[in-house]
Amino acid sequence: MRKSRLLAAALLLCLTLCACGARQKPQTPYRMVLITKSTTTQFWLSAIAGAGAAKAEYNVDLSIVGPETEEDYECQNRYIRQAVSDGADAIIFSAISYSENAAAIDEAADAGVKIVVIDSDVASDRVDARIGTNNLEAGRMAASAALDMSAPELYVGVVNFDQTSRNGQEREMGLTNAFREDARVREIRTIHVQTSSEAAREGAKRLLDEYPETNVLIGLNEPLSVGVGMAAEELGLGEAVRVVGFDTNVTCVDLLRSGDMSALIVQNPYAMGYLGVETAWKILEGKPFDAVFDTATAIVTRENMFTAEGQQALFSFS
Amino acid sequence: MNKKGLPINVIVLMTVVGTVLALSASVLPSFSRLYRQTLIRSAETTGRQAVAQVSSTVDEYLSTMESSMSNISAAMDWDETERGGFFDVFFRIRPNVVAISTYDADGALLACYSPTHSMRKQVEQNLSIDAERIKNGGGYVSAPHVVTLFEGYYPWVVTMVRPISTEGEGRWAALDISCSELSRYINDVGIGDRGYCFLMDEDGNIVYHPQQQLIYSSLKSENTALISTFDDGAHTIGNVIYSVQSIKNTPWRVVGVSYVQEALSAGLLELRKSLIPMGLLLASAALIISFLLNRVLYEPIRGLESAMRQFERDADHFSYEPYHPALGAREIQSLSQSFGHMVGRIQQLMKQVREEEINLRKTELRALQAQINPHFLYNTLDAITWMCERGKTDDAVMMVNALARLFRISISRGRELIPLRSELQHAECYLRILSIRYRGQFSYRFVTDEDCLDCLCAKIVIQPILENAIYHGINGLIDEGMITVSVRGEGDDVVCTVEDNGVGMTEEQIAAVMQKERSDKAGIGIKNVNDRLRIYFGDAYGITIDSAPDEGTRVFIRMPRIYEESEYEKK
Repeated sequence: MRKSRLLAAALLLCLTLCACGARQKPQTPYRMVLITKSTTTQFWLSAIAGAGAAKAEYNVDLSIVGPETEEDYECQNRYIRQAVSDGADAIIFSAISYSENAAAIDEAADAGVKIVVIDSDVASDRVDARIGTNNLEAGRMAASAALDMSAPELYVGVVNFDQTSRNGQEREMGLTNAFREDARVREIRTIHVQTSSEAAREGAKRLLDEYPETNVLIGLNEPLSVGVGMAAEELGLGEAVRVVGFDTNVTCVDLLRSGDMSALIVQNPYAMGYLGVETAWKILEGKPFDAVFDTATAIVTRENMFTAEGQQALFSFS
Repeated sequence: MNKKGLPINVIVLMTVVGTVLALSASVLPSFSRLYRQTLIRSAETTGRQAVAQVSSTVDEYLSTMESSMSNISAAMDWDETERGGFFDVFFRIRPNVVAISTYDADGALLACYSPTHSMRKQVEQNLSIDAERIKNGGGYVSAPHVVTLFEGYYPWVVTMVRPISTEGEGRWAALDISCSELSRYINDVGIGDRGYCFLMDEDGNIVYHPQQQLIYSSLKSENTALISTFDDGAHTIGNVIYSVQSIKNTPWRVVGVSYVQEALSAGLLELRKSLIPMGLLLASAALIISFLLNRVLYEPIRGLESAMRQFERDADHFSYEPYHPALGAREIQSLSQSFGHMVGRIQQLMKQVREEEINLRKTELRALQAQINPHFLYNTLDAITWMCERGKTDDAVMMVNALARLFRISISRGRELIPLRSELQHAECYLRILSIRYRGQFSYRFVTDEDCLDCLCAKIVIQPILENAIYHGINGLIDEGMITVSVRGEGDDVVCTVEDNGVGMTEEQIAAVMQKERSDKAGIGIKNVNDRLRIYFGDAYGITIDSAPDEGTRVFIRMPRIYEESEYEKK
């Protein structure tokens, strides 16, 4: 009897040792899909570069897809379903449409895919983490950059993109709220155009044509900023009209240097891409993560654009 | 049997395991400390080597640029077409040079050359020259910045500024070198699993970092304030090893960052891999040892132990088979064999002692039985002779008959136990002979219980008592003596009583009679009878004497009621 007890004890010891040894599981990289709004603007190129940096750091199998135009939410939905059927572990997503992308995201979440939203939110409560600019605050920053002028009466023209996109709505709300607090603001007129610099240029020109008293022009994303800036340049408005844009590319920088653009609200797309992948990895690893993370936003003007901070905000290093 | 204490194999196993544990517990900390130190040292060496490598390549690159600079400086003297040709070739060889610009002593832009872009009309802010620094004299290598000389083209560069030595004094040339060139030297340098290199200036500003954009995005940071205080060499702060190496002739320093933890954990992983089979081996070794101990030591000892206990309980009927295992320890085997020998010897001795005791007793009894008082025979024969002479033939015949019967019963074919009937006849014959010899001096009678007469009785037990009663009790009496021999059953016992009304005995006399052998060595003493009875039947039986001076004596002979000789043997 004593012998069998001894045997059992020895067996237990062996099993414990084996269990210790077996704990080092070989790990296949997580499969993630980054679905952007665009793959051509500087903003999204930076975000993709950031995601790439995290992909290398966390050894993730990352694929990146985006629609042709920033209005094609149906294409995004197809990408979501494709990612689910490809067996993705996580989707890092920026919604073109706050409402129309929700169903596809819910489906993906039902299939067990982790959802991290960057930049632009979607109307789903199945989202695990949200990373991006605090757009209300960014709108307020744009307003304060515009209000930094001496004119006694302000007529504001806002060129916004697709009405369905959440971040555009929030930016508009933020700046509208800020403008309403200033007594000088007489009128705020908003137009919605397709997300392209050409459409924005046309829109801005039409607006200026229709309401020549307009002395503040605001473009709410990268192509719209370029378009608004180009319109101001073409019309040779100079200091008479204060132009504030969102995001940056070389054209914006040139416009800023030439004085046709007064200020840029620069987001941190690189951080969004990087943190999107990093957060998805943390969720899959079961590590603690921030469910909501606001990335930094900077106001760049002609004065501070070539300071160290200005350069770092405006010009992508990678 | 004391059951406290642990069995041997458990003790041995515990000792072995305890020793191993204690040893490893005492050795492991110092071992792991040593191991960690070794790992740190080797990681530091790796780090130093990596940064030295990077430092020398960057240095080499910069010195190539330096020599390019003197070529450019020389080219400034040439005419326009020659210079144009030179720059065409130069930009083709050095694709990472973004722009070359020249300045006067105040830092005002004189000319700008670029392979791809033309200068913008108005350069309101030129980051490629720092007028303050050239006024303080000497060239410099700038921190990274974007080139602001062009339209729609803002690459990150570092700028090398050198004075143009030819054609007068006070002119400067600035060489904008793309940061992507530095990345070639820095990005792919890995130290350990997650270690990396970066470049900073002596003030702790990061010049180039593999994750520059993460640093610009405030997602990463380096503790450059601390690192800039370090001398060249490896510095271990907590789990991070910083290897620092200055680059000759520049304010730049290469910093290698690696982690002790991962080096350590990688090493420990290696160690653990070898520990698992080691542990398994140890465990199975312990298992085998314990089995072996069980077989070799514990089982035989336990067998021996239980054999001894059994022997203790019943030595007579114990038989021992010495343990002969193939694996048993030699000591155990010889112990077992010795025990076997001992058991045999003890049993033999016990048997011998018992046999000797029986022999002794039998011999003694025979000797006692053989003791016929020669005086008694002589006196009796004398009396018979006397009767024959007097013509008292009837008396003589009766006496001879009695004598003959006395002897026949005495002999009884050598048996030790005879029926009580015969013993009483023997007593009667004796009394008859003596009553004739001592005519008129005493009379006798027998009171017997018929039930008891078939019981067996030790031979010649009553006669010695009668002899004592007549010679010491009746002989000195003036009146006629009276001897009564009675037999009665008392439960499982039979009691014969010999009662006389003689002179009696004091307590001291009784004690003396019970203790002493007869001094004349003739006949059988009372003590002898008592001894024999006790030997035959045990201490519960024997003789008791009840007597008082001048009153008489009563002697009780107590024996068990037995009918077969075998019954007595069983007891």
